[in-house]
Amino acid sequence: MSALAAAARIALIVAGKDATAELRGRQATASTAFFAALVLLLFGFALGPDPTRLAEAGPGLLWLATVFGGLLTIGRLHQLEADDGALEQLALYPVDRRALYAGKALAGATAMLVLGGLLLPVVALLYGIDLASAWLPLSVILLLGAVGFAAIGTCYAALTVRMRSRELLLPLLMLPAVAPLLLAAVKATTAALAGDPLAELGSWLGLLVAFDLAMLVVGTAGYGFLLEE
Amino acid sequence: MGTRLLGILALVAIVGASAFGLFVVKADLNQGDAQRIMYVHVASAWLAYLSFGVTALAGLAYLVRRDLRFDAVAVSGAELGVMFTAFAIWGGMMWGRPVWGVFWSWGDPRLTTTALLLALGIGYLLLRRLIDDPARRATRAAVAGLIAAVDIPIVHFSVEWWRGLHQGPTIGSPDKILNPSAPGMFVAALMFQLLAFSLAWGWLMLRRYQLARLEWLIEEEGRLGGISAAQRAARSGEVAT
Amino acid sequence: MTDLGFIIAGYGVILGGLALYAMALMRRLRAARSEADRIRRAVGADPLE
Repeated sequence: MSALAAAARIALIVAGKDATAELRGRQATASTAFFAALVLLLFGFALGPDPTRLAEAGPGLLWLATVFGGLLTIGRLHQLEADDGALEQLALYPVDRRALYAGKALAGATAMLVLGGLLLPVVALLYGIDLASAWLPLSVILLLGAVGFAAIGTCYAALTVRMRSRELLLPLLMLPAVAPLLLAAVKATTAALAGDPLAELGSWLGLLVAFDLAMLVVGTAGYGFLLEE
Repeated sequence: MGTRLLGILALVAIVGASAFGLFVVKADLNQGDAQRIMYVHVASAWLAYLSFGVTALAGLAYLVRRDLRFDAVAVSGAELGVMFTAFAIWGGMMWGRPVWGVFWSWGDPRLTTTALLLALGIGYLLLRRLIDDPARRATRAAVAGLIAAVDIPIVHFSVEWWRGLHQGPTIGSPDKILNPSAPGMFVAALMFQLLAFSLAWGWLMLRRYQLARLEWLIEEEGRLGGISAAQRAARSGEVAT
Repeated sequence: MTDLGFIIAGYGVILGGLALYAMALMRRLRAARSEADRIRRAVGADPLE
């Protein structure tokens, strides 16, 4: 088996392990989604009742809620290992670090995809936005956003493992770092929903791709250094 | 000592550059006297980016060489970086109010990028404060620094596009565009202040680095219950005062 | 000089902040040096320089 195939296999095993854990702990996943939905509800109270204003704010609120839920998700995906000290054990395996990172990032991205996907109908309902018309670009945006968030989140999560004030530090580190991701996702969504009048959708998608690539590269490298401790 | 001389030189230069910018250079034809704030604002911003650049590079160097002296450089750069970033934002606000009419503008890419830079810098310092083991702290901080270093250019581009595509009502009136009565003087004042601040930066980095090394020594003594690290350092003369 | 308040606030905070930071840094440095000297004496080496 070539090295790449071996690494890919490990990544999938790690991702599968995390996904299984998530499915078993369904409650946590559901609770996170519920939390994000609550955020959307509260935004409605904060910014409503004018439907025009809410519809305009919709894309921004959607991705904000996804980010907040995502913070909880990423933290949880790493907490399991941290609690049992399994992260160190993982690090002991003579396995390509990059495969470990890929696996965890894959699990994170999948969780984010699920989360975002669950929130789409909530946004469509609460803010009166026809999301179905732009389902294809929206799916792409969600996918790119999920990958980017998981790429950087996986690295930050490993960075803050077994630290004091971890619940506070992870969001504190992540929020400024994902600002461009948030911006690009919102702008792309807004453009897609409007039929892309200014032909800017491509630029914003390009930015998302650039963010994803950059964070995957730096995340892989950083993860390796972190596990070497 | 050389450092002390540098410090004095920096102090004199800052006083001179500030006096030059405040009293010698004529007021801008459009922005008036408020434009003078630009000199310290730009200098602060330049040094903020330099400081964080040093932090990122020093962190990378640590990850490769595992020499804690690199980490000492990194923390020095981060602390100075946060300070200069705060100055840059403050200067930008003090300039923005008279010239634009507002303290804050989401349409200004530099302001928003700098705000994120500040947030990342504070996060970095906070991260460091929460880890006690020097090696672990250095490693994690270095990785955080790398992520931030990659992130900031992306932020820059995203915010530029944000402004460009979203050409809302221009803040302030068009005739507030910079229009120095003597462009040469304007550039000279800018360069002068930049040089002065850079000298100060050099002195501050040296001193902060010394402090970092001494703090490591003290930390080691506290951790190991006394003698070995302190002994080694003292014998090798590694940590000079 | 118009916009005087903003200029004073701008320069004042930045230059004043620099000065304050520098002074605080020297204070921290002095404290650390004396602490390091104490360690050296405890270790038995002569204070360097």
